[in-house]
Amino acid sequence: MSDDVNPYQQAHAREKAARLKAEMLLEDKSRKLYLQKQKLEESYARLRQQESAMLQNEKLATLGTLSAGIAHEINNPLAFVLSNMESLNNYTLSFQKLLRLNQVLLQTDQVPEDTRNSLAKLIDEEDLSFVSEDISELLKDTGDGLCRVRDIINNLRSFSRTQNTDQVETDLLAGLKSTLKLLDSELKGNVDLQLSLHELPKTICNPNELNQVFLNLVINAKQATENAKDATVIISSRCKNDTIFIRIQDNGCGMSDDVKKQIFVPFFTTKPVGKGTGMGMAVAYGIIADHQGKIVVQSKEGVGTIFEIQLPVVTETLT
Amino acid sequence: MKGVIFNVLEEMVEEHCGMAVWNEILNEDLSGDGIYTAGESYPDEQLFSLVEAVCARTKLPMEKVVGDFVEFLFAQLAARHPVFLENPTDLKSFLKSIDSVIHVEVRKLYDNPNLPEFEYDEPDPDILVMHYRSPRKLCVLAEGLIRGAAAHYKTSVEISHPICMHKGADRCDLHVRFLP
Repeated sequence: MSDDVNPYQQAHAREKAARLKAEMLLEDKSRKLYLQKQKLEESYARLRQQESAMLQNEKLATLGTLSAGIAHEINNPLAFVLSNMESLNNYTLSFQKLLRLNQVLLQTDQVPEDTRNSLAKLIDEEDLSFVSEDISELLKDTGDGLCRVRDIINNLRSFSRTQNTDQVETDLLAGLKSTLKLLDSELKGNVDLQLSLHELPKTICNPNELNQVFLNLVINAKQATENAKDATVIISSRCKNDTIFIRIQDNGCGMSDDVKKQIFVPFFTTKPVGKGTGMGMAVAYGIIADHQGKIVVQSKEGVGTIFEIQLPVVTETLT
Repeated sequence: MKGVIFNVLEEMVEEHCGMAVWNEILNEDLSGDGIYTAGESYPDEQLFSLVEAVCARTKLPMEKVVGDFVEFLFAQLAARHPVFLENPTDLKSFLKSIDSVIHVEVRKLYDNPNLPEFEYDEPDPDILVMHYRSPRKLCVLAEGLIRGAAAHYKTSVEISHPICMHKGADRCDLHVRFLP
């Protein structure tokens, strides 16, 4: 080693080089750590999302079981109440005929005066003329009420999927088009309907039920845009990787996260009292779940909502 | 300011003036103990004070020292992180990748890197306008680094700085004209 070289300077240079190398190693580790952290964060977010979807599905499955039980329990007494109502209607007609005959006979001399007086007194005391008039109205209202109960029970059964379904090979696009035709007068002049419909492969499903889902979703989309400027509903269909996607998008009022979490819950509605049963989306959910499909919802308050139905293409029945 | 910048200043002073001068500057100064670790953050003022001390020692004007330092800084950083210069094959692409590539990588290494923001305009194919925004107002550093990058890519440029945060603007505009 030459005497001119300062050993401290040499050592300093060596130390600096070592430090630089250590810093580089640290940077490499930091970079890897950062990427791993990012992956972990993404996985965690995905896990939370899946957990929330799973909870939602479990909740709806529990509600389905509960709904099926309630529907079954109410359906049995409802069946005989409805049947009794029919008999009661017939009995009432007989009673009314008898009353009318009495009233006619009271005007004649064919019945002894004492009997006439007793009958007239009874009719008057029991207010039978009014009863006869009122009973028809009461029976009609009761019948209407029972029909509503029956509809609600049917909806609950649709949500819980306890019914047998008629599955046939179907062109869903044709079904969607016929539903839109049905809604033509409802939509015309109220919304700008934009269609981007691509051919779909035939699939085995229950067309009536799926048409009901389309109907519910399109009506909801139209109603959501009632106060929107340039109300628009965009409907599209496509098929990718053996999955059918039908998307119904509106630029309406949108939904808050809280509302979004509950839309498939039976009887949940944001519509004013008497305007909605709160069963439309629950039934839609049940139907799509029964077809092994999914309904994906994206919504932002004040911006609009997208419902996407995802259905597997089924070419053979599972039975 | 990250310690790596102090390390590069030390490197430059040692290379041009010798180790003794750097030791004297540290002994005369300063608020810190003179130990700078690349990944650690230190007050900007400490760097300014060191640069002033270098000017006093070398009797060179501040602009000259800062200009030389920043160009030297670019070369040193380029040597430490050659990967950032591999993909952009020319100066303009490199300058445009600062926000989207280099700053992203810097964020992987440091928790609070206090990075400036850049936006770009290209009013003409030969001109790149870089809009610089930073509460630290280190536009002089940005300008020097552009010069360093131009030297690295062996590209002649003319840089003007018509709008400056030090003159009350909310951003600095650095006009880089690429000369044939």
